[in-house]
Amino acid sequence: MFVINCPYCGEREQSEFKAGGEAHIVRPKQPTELSDDEWAEYLFMRKNIKGIQFERWVHAHGCRKWFNLVRDTSNDVIKAVYKMGEKPPTK
Amino acid sequence: MLDYTNVITKEKSYSGLQMKEIKPVMKLIIRGKKREFLSAIGKSLNLLLPTEPNTSSRSEKLSALWLSPDEWIIYSNEISNPDTNNYETENLLNKKISNIGLGAVTDVSDQFVLINMKGDKIFDLFETGSPFNFNIFRDKKGAVTQTILARIDVIIHNQNQNEVNLFVRRSFSQHLFSWMNDSASRL
Repeated sequence: MFVINCPYCGEREQSEFKAGGEAHIVRPKQPTELSDDEWAEYLFMRKNIKGIQFERWVHAHGCRKWFNLVRDTSNDVIKAVYKMGEKPPTK
Repeated sequence: MLDYTNVITKEKSYSGLQMKEIKPVMKLIIRGKKREFLSAIGKSLNLLLPTEPNTSSRSEKLSALWLSPDEWIIYSNEISNPDTNNYETENLLNKKISNIGLGAVTDVSDQFVLINMKGDKIFDLFETGSPFNFNIFRDKKGAVTQTILARIDVIIHNQNQNEVNLFVRRSFSQHLFSWMNDSASRL
């Protein structure tokens, strides 16, 4: 259990949110030209890092907005929160 | 209001806590992002929509609650006519907002149940089933939050010191009300 600072509503408890997996995965421009392996790579393969990971979250029981989160998966420390469409922090 | 079998029939009273349903009340969800949308609402209802998160605004007839950056709920302060589902405010907003594509207006009068709670034990009750921190909220008149109460989505509007309006979806209302009564009996 941890507290997430929703960029719209402020600090809320984690149980109000739903995790949406890894962020910044770019959809291939021409899916029809991909091989099955490349398509599977895009569709299923996730980094699942132990350490700092970029994730998407949604405030499901609050404002219902999606946003991005930088989280250390080993200890659940949240490094940064930023809105959809914004550039990820470089540090 | 439509003719539903009413699920919350009685006003319940405990020491420091009274709960009852208020009905029928007009409730509208409005959504929009443009600046013209905000000013059109302000002009037609004589009510400025709150743009600051977790706040509300109020005119003589209506209250507007912030739900998300592009979503608000508007409800009537007074009880509306029980024989009709046709609301003057909704018709006006349909004309000024949705018909010209500025935003969306949805009638949720029958979707949400409005439970009015009074007393100094309201927040003691909420604390037994909500992850939300009510420490600042309880002293802030007009504060709004969408959160979970007993695993049910609720919208809570702090009306006044010791008076709160709680919105819950109709299908969850009976369960939530019985849970609240159960919880209140042990405070």
